Amino acid sequence: MPELTLTLRHRRAGAPLRELGDYERAGGYAALKRALANLEADEVLYQLHRSGLRGRGGAGFPMGRKASFLPKDAPLRKYLVCNADESEPGTFKDREIMEMDPFELLEGMALAGYAIGAQRGYIYIRGEYNHHAEVLASAIVQARRGGYLGEEIARSRYSFDITLYRGAGAYICGEETALLESLEGKRGQPRLKPPFPAVAGLYASPTLINNVETLASVPTIIERGADWYAALGTEKSPGTKVFSVSGHVLRPGNYEVVLGETTLRELVFEMAGGLRPGRRFKACWPGGSSVPVLAEQHLDTPLDYESLNAAGTFLGSGGCIVMDDSGCIVRASLRLAHFYRHESCGKCTPCREGTGWLERILQRMVDGEGRMEDLALLEALFGRIGGKCLCALADGAVAPIQSALRLFRDEFVRVVEEGSPRPEPMVEAAVAAGA
Amino acid sequence: MTRRAPRSDYARIDPAAPDAVSFELNGRVVTAPAGTMLVDAAWAHGIEIPIFCYEARIGAPIGACRMCLVAVDGLRGLTTACSTPVAAEMVVRTDTPEVRAAQDGVLELLLANHPLDCPVCDKGGECPLQDRTFRFGPGRSRFIEPKRHFPKPLELSPVIALDRERCIACFRCVRFSQDVAQDRNLAWQERGPRSQIATETGEPYEGRFTGNVIDLCPVGALTSIPYRFIARPWDVFNAPSVCHLCPVGCNTDLSMREGKLMRVTGRPEPNPAVEEGWLCDRGRFAHGGEAADAPARLKRAILREGSPARASDLEAAVVAAAWRLDTAKAPAVLVGPDATVEEAFLAQELAAGPLGGAPLARLGIPGAALAPLRGLAGAQLGELDAADLVAVVGGDPANQQPVVELRVRKARRRGAAVVVAGPRPTALDAVAEVLRTAPGRLAEAMAALGRLLEAAAAPIVLWDEADLAAEPDAAAALARLVAAHPGARQLELAADVNGAGLRALGIPAEGVLEAALEARVDALLCVHADPLTAPGAARWARALDRVATVVAIATHESPITRRAAVALPALSRYEDEGVLVSMAGRAQRLRPGARPADGAAAGWEILAALGHRLGAPVAHRSSREAFEAAASSRLAFTGLSYASLGVSGQVIGPTPAPPPSGAGAPAEPAGEGLALVAMTEMFGDASAWRAGALAAWRTGAAVSLNPAEAGRLGLVGAARVEVASPEGRCVLPLRIDAALPEGGAFVALGAPGSGAEALLPPDRHAVRVTLTAAA
Repeated sequence: MPELTLTLRHRRAGAPLRELGDYERAGGYAALKRALANLEADEVLYQLHRSGLRGRGGAGFPMGRKASFLPKDAPLRKYLVCNADESEPGTFKDREIMEMDPFELLEGMALAGYAIGAQRGYIYIRGEYNHHAEVLASAIVQARRGGYLGEEIARSRYSFDITLYRGAGAYICGEETALLESLEGKRGQPRLKPPFPAVAGLYASPTLINNVETLASVPTIIERGADWYAALGTEKSPGTKVFSVSGHVLRPGNYEVVLGETTLRELVFEMAGGLRPGRRFKACWPGGSSVPVLAEQHLDTPLDYESLNAAGTFLGSGGCIVMDDSGCIVRASLRLAHFYRHESCGKCTPCREGTGWLERILQRMVDGEGRMEDLALLEALFGRIGGKCLCALADGAVAPIQSALRLFRDEFVRVVEEGSPRPEPMVEAAVAAGA
Repeated sequence: MTRRAPRSDYARIDPAAPDAVSFELNGRVVTAPAGTMLVDAAWAHGIEIPIFCYEARIGAPIGACRMCLVAVDGLRGLTTACSTPVAAEMVVRTDTPEVRAAQDGVLELLLANHPLDCPVCDKGGECPLQDRTFRFGPGRSRFIEPKRHFPKPLELSPVIALDRERCIACFRCVRFSQDVAQDRNLAWQERGPRSQIATETGEPYEGRFTGNVIDLCPVGALTSIPYRFIARPWDVFNAPSVCHLCPVGCNTDLSMREGKLMRVTGRPEPNPAVEEGWLCDRGRFAHGGEAADAPARLKRAILREGSPARASDLEAAVVAAAWRLDTAKAPAVLVGPDATVEEAFLAQELAAGPLGGAPLARLGIPGAALAPLRGLAGAQLGELDAADLVAVVGGDPANQQPVVELRVRKARRRGAAVVVAGPRPTALDAVAEVLRTAPGRLAEAMAALGRLLEAAAAPIVLWDEADLAAEPDAAAALARLVAAHPGARQLELAADVNGAGLRALGIPAEGVLEAALEARVDALLCVHADPLTAPGAARWARALDRVATVVAIATHESPITRRAAVALPALSRYEDEGVLVSMAGRAQRLRPGARPADGAAAGWEILAALGHRLGAPVAHRSSREAFEAAASSRLAFTGLSYASLGVSGQVIGPTPAPPPSGAGAPAEPAGEGLALVAMTEMFGDASAWRAGALAAWRTGAAVSLNPAEAGRLGLVGAARVEVASPEGRCVLPLRIDAALPEGGAFVALGAPGSGAEALLPPDRHAVRVTLTAAA
């Protein structure tokens, strides 16, 4: 159970690193100074490439490869954008990084910006992260004062500055092209791809866009070397990853583990303290709410990209939502369907109309008006919605419900037959606590 | 007159273009130019890939509706054919079970919340959603929940109804407003299933081109209020025609039911050289004022043999008119700016034959100084797409030749630079480099314009007929600039609807007025001409005092029909056949979209009957024959016939130009005071005032001044002012407008009864005006 704290640096330091001095004392900005003094931009890019670091926002695309897609000789200026619109249900890792290690993110952005030749970075932060935006804003001011942002940073010839931009609370703006639209001041809706952001992103210019955790991993990689980092974890899933565990566990929270060396069982039952006494594990969405659900038989799956894929789900954002046997899978599916219907931007037909339809069918089931043919209808709709849209939101809406119907079909059938689901889990827990 | 072919929505491509590549489509090897979108390439090869959001005229595809999913070898899953360019060796299938399931699936989802109120929906029968559901969709719905509801319908504007329940969120209307018309008024509000169309401000959707969203809407969400519940597509017959309300010559489609014109829409097959399927709101909604029963129509022939006037049947009135002309010692003929080629040609034959060589002129601008410009290489509007610089010299095309504005904005979107030179603030200023000149001093802009032209490879200069006729020095300088540039072309922003056609027939703009002023005309035949409401009205009023008899052939009542001894009602342009020549020299056919008004006859028929009564029966028994006779005797029309004009027209040959005169010398404005700048408002002329549908938008006569200018003249606070030029005077409401430059009095022309035309000389020579507060 190798818990290895790299990105959550404040845990090693034992205190929040919200002051520049504290961060420097904890070894911060050593990587940036060394890179700017000793490494060409291409060498930094190569290090990112060699490290095998994969995007931690959900898609898991190798960061170095993505960065290498930016055209080298484009006449337009390049941009680095940090996706801090952490809205995936069950995910709160970026939040801890921004709150406790804001300079690590800023340092990672400066390094990534240097690697791709960008002079301007943006942090697009979720509207609800009020406190975190203030922490970041203060960190940006301190970093400027300390010479780590602005003109000729860290006494080099490289200039880089960061603008903090607050979103308005739309889940869709975590999708990279919708985020760019929103950042440009437009309605947040995904763009048609290609062109990909690397070619025509922010203001139609070459843009590298990465998640907070991804960028916050960069200083460690430069500091300790790409080979050291790549040696952690498995061949295709190197490094560490922060999992946010929530739901029916006794110690919810963020846990940073070496990929591939920890199983889901260890994460849930050891790190997160296990379930409430007398409860049995029922289901788990290991990568945020947009991934297929896992059941008891999957508990020994190692936590890395390939193993989770093999188990039929995704590592996603690492937002691990746990449900014990007090929960009703049909109700949980309805709750998710409601979320995706509410957050669908409405651009693509299958998502706009399909998420609402899914919700209404599940609502009928929960209301005792389900029909047996609704199960077949749900299955037909999954295929009509999933894989048919511009972005992954609709796929994220389908995946947990489709997998729930596959793994827990008996429960769906029972709900339809009996005409009512079991009580809300929280109600039951409250009753138990009161009794 | 035909049933309308369904709007196809696909961009036309040439599969045999030199840069075509071959690829495999459903097992066939076919060709299309590289980069063509798959949907368009497939359509060209007879395969329909259904679409809703894709509309090549609006801009780059957005891939929102997901209707066009196809299978392309090598790409994971299905891909949107609207956004996938053809590449060599590509293997595409549009008929696999996966593709069919995707099409069926998207339609099932589109229909889930779409109200199935087709029987009462105006779009029913010509609805792409209906049609595509029949071809690609599910037969029945599995959606058992109550559908989404919105209060319906809303008046999006006085002419557009919005039914949000029917909207399928294709974004076409919003993109049109944002990207094509760029009025930026329509927006997409709320999100997900509650998404809806609205205006940014909550106010009605206002603009000059709003009606196009009705044509663009693939469902019944946006429908025409004047056409609401008026007809069903299977009840109407459609005729491809041409708009006669300005010289652009937009190709239109007229829908007729039970003999009445019910609506004007853009063509299902747009003319890329002219309007590309877009219409302005005047062209679309003004037709009501020309209906047979519209109050302003001249419904019966009028005879004034002594007073009082009395109505007559047309036959007797033609006899009376012929007698009047026959007994006149010195008859003359005046042809109006929107007379068709056939009418003008027959008028010429009448003047030359039975009227014994009577003088004949057109009511329009002589423009001798414009001949050098007109002689230079000309462009069609569609060619603006390939220009790298568009220069607008004088005028205000957004109001005068509205669709030109859309074509210029498109050129701008495609990367062309735009420059606007002139004294008026115009809508195009927002996308242009503006060379603001003092009123009457267009020549000032020529040096800067010359530099911009030099830097461009393929510039097109749009120049205003009236402004440059008034400034021969600027016309000559502009002609030199364009002539000196090997890649430059010019396009006239004409003042008169069929001015180019009348010139091509060899009809001068001078001669009749001068003769009448000297009392050398005792009978005047006016063919669709009302000199009393045209520029020069004051001089014409003096001239007509000396003309004993006026015979007027007219569609509407007007000062000249009230003055005429015999007024003969003619069919409107929506009821008649004929040819109009656009400002770019395109001869295009009018086709009737309404039953002939009772008691009226086609203008050409009245002229032929006059010839017959005057003892010179004409040989041509139809407008077709009249046009063919014109084509065989007028060089510019050589080889043209109704058949060769087809539905999208032909460019006529060069018009023999009179030798240029007056070129080079700056024309000093006549009179004293402020230079008069003639303004035209899109909804400010008689056609807009006659149309009930445009009641909310019409604008009246006015003289507008810069506030500083008004202060200097002591007119602050004056509501109405008397405006006097050396030609005439009139009283107009005063407006103060800080957007206007100083040094000019900006007078709106065209409003019925304003008398503003009396301020201008007939040749549009520049004038100055004095302004005094009126009681």
